[in-house]
Amino acid sequence: MRTYRVAYLGNDSEAAPLLRAALEKAGLEFMATPRDSAGIKKVADFDCDLVLWDLEDANPNEPTPMEQLRKAGLENMPVAVVVPTGWEAAVAGSLAEGAVDFLYKPIEKDPLPRILAALSTGQRQRRVAWANRVIEDTSRQIRGILANMADPAYVVSPEYQILYMNRVAEEIFGEGLRGGTCYHVFHDREEPCEVCARSKGAARWRSVLKNGKSYRFLSVDIRNSAGELERLAVATDVTVDEEVSKIYKTFISNVSHDLRTPLAAIDQYADILRDGLAGELNEEQKEDVDVIKRSTFRLGNLIENLIDANRILSGRLKLKMERVNVREILDLVLEHLEAQARDKGLELKVSVPDDLPPMYADKALIARVIANIAGNSIKFTEHGVVQIRAGYIPRDEGRIIISVEDAGIGIPTEDLGKIFELFYRVEGDKVYVEEGAGLGLSISREIVRAHGGTLWTESLEGMGSAFHFTLPVHKNESGAH
Amino acid sequence: MAEKLILVADDDRDLVTALSIRLRATGYEVIGAHDGDEAYEMAKEQKPDLVIMDIRMPAGGGFDSMERLKHSLSTRNIPVILLTAFDDEDMREQARTLGCAGYFRKPFDDAEFMESIRKVLGS
Repeated sequence: MRTYRVAYLGNDSEAAPLLRAALEKAGLEFMATPRDSAGIKKVADFDCDLVLWDLEDANPNEPTPMEQLRKAGLENMPVAVVVPTGWEAAVAGSLAEGAVDFLYKPIEKDPLPRILAALSTGQRQRRVAWANRVIEDTSRQIRGILANMADPAYVVSPEYQILYMNRVAEEIFGEGLRGGTCYHVFHDREEPCEVCARSKGAARWRSVLKNGKSYRFLSVDIRNSAGELERLAVATDVTVDEEVSKIYKTFISNVSHDLRTPLAAIDQYADILRDGLAGELNEEQKEDVDVIKRSTFRLGNLIENLIDANRILSGRLKLKMERVNVREILDLVLEHLEAQARDKGLELKVSVPDDLPPMYADKALIARVIANIAGNSIKFTEHGVVQIRAGYIPRDEGRIIISVEDAGIGIPTEDLGKIFELFYRVEGDKVYVEEGAGLGLSISREIVRAHGGTLWTESLEGMGSAFHFTLPVHKNESGAH
Repeated sequence: MAEKLILVADDDRDLVTALSIRLRATGYEVIGAHDGDEAYEMAKEQKPDLVIMDIRMPAGGGFDSMERLKHSLSTRNIPVILLTAFDDEDMREQARTLGCAGYFRKPFDDAEFMESIRKVLGS
């Protein structure tokens, strides 16, 4: 068990033995040494918990005990000064300089309680000193990280005054701007930016700074010691990301433009042939032209799917919501689906109740969902009927449900979870190779999801499959982006 | 009454030919142009009843050409139907702002397209 160690530094030959007797009796370790540099060295080696520093006969100009100990490497060593009775000025001065307590001489009969109290105060002082060091180290590390980050960071007061800017922020905006308001210094505004004025806690925004680069900012509120909320904002340079995404967007836009352009001419010429504008066609030739028309439609659909897949992957799927009837949507695709079914000798049945309420949806996108799933059903069905059904579910303020059922090959149970993944296609000898990039189902699910609806499937291998999706009848918050 | 004259302007010559065949078969008279300048000159000289124009063409695309037409007294009242293979909401918006009589994205539905022309020409 560790025992307290106390050292006496002084030249009083009466005080030292009295202290020794009292402390050693209580089981504390004690040493006494003259108050000179060799004595201070000895105290340092003794590794004690309290120094009793006798100020009698001290040179008035010499440094305080605390200072002398600090110089000897004994920073934060608790000191109690020992002075002749009546030296109030010396006591007050020492306490003000950081001494934990004082003892009057001559030493009282039992000095132990007073010394134990000083030991306890000293220990508390050391703990506080240690905690302060940890805080200082940590804050130095954090400031070091902030200061040396490759991107700007700053802290503002609740009144938007800049309290701190890191090196990069100073490189961009200039030095000596602390105290200015962030909206004025950073954004040349006369009032706080909306995102900061509006948001509490964490906020995110993007802005182009004076150096011409784009940054994504993330800010958090930190409560300072006065209880006020300061805001720490850290930026990430997204200039390259944005450039890449712009190039990518332009590329996709141009590629799809160049794919659609010849498609328009093919489609027009097929119409010219079909309508007999280039001479009457016989039945066989008419059927040939129909194949061209259908293939053009499929190719067009594939291009749209690719573009939508790109939009979904880059998070840019936008819905053009309008009030629309299921019938209107079906009208956009039925002609092509019927031709596709007829071509395979299948029957396409459609049943839509007359009293179905209209809904809010993106007409073209929902039409593509139907074209995708019904197209799939036709693709994988060899005989019989493919049925499209619409209905109303009075749940959640009303939903429209659209189902496509087929008598096709069905989907193996182990594949059911996978068919909505991008680029998934059923493989194996059960299925012959079909065209399509496997995009249709995953895109359909995302489109339905963006409307606030759900798309799911049930299937019995060899017996057929059913795809269902629901759409809210009313404008839906999650669908209104 | 004389047949209505339609100017079709597109740098895709095949599409100009195809549209010409279809429109003539419907009973319209058709002239073709393949870039913006040519379209503007032809419109000024021949005063067609309708211009059908691609948005992206050399020497002044559909939007530029349309502005030129709208600024000239002799052509400002000619309705314009715009065509494009771009799927761009901003373009659609710009087309609306410029007051075009129709906007079709390639490939377009033939029946809808013809119906739109009939409406614009009031025939």
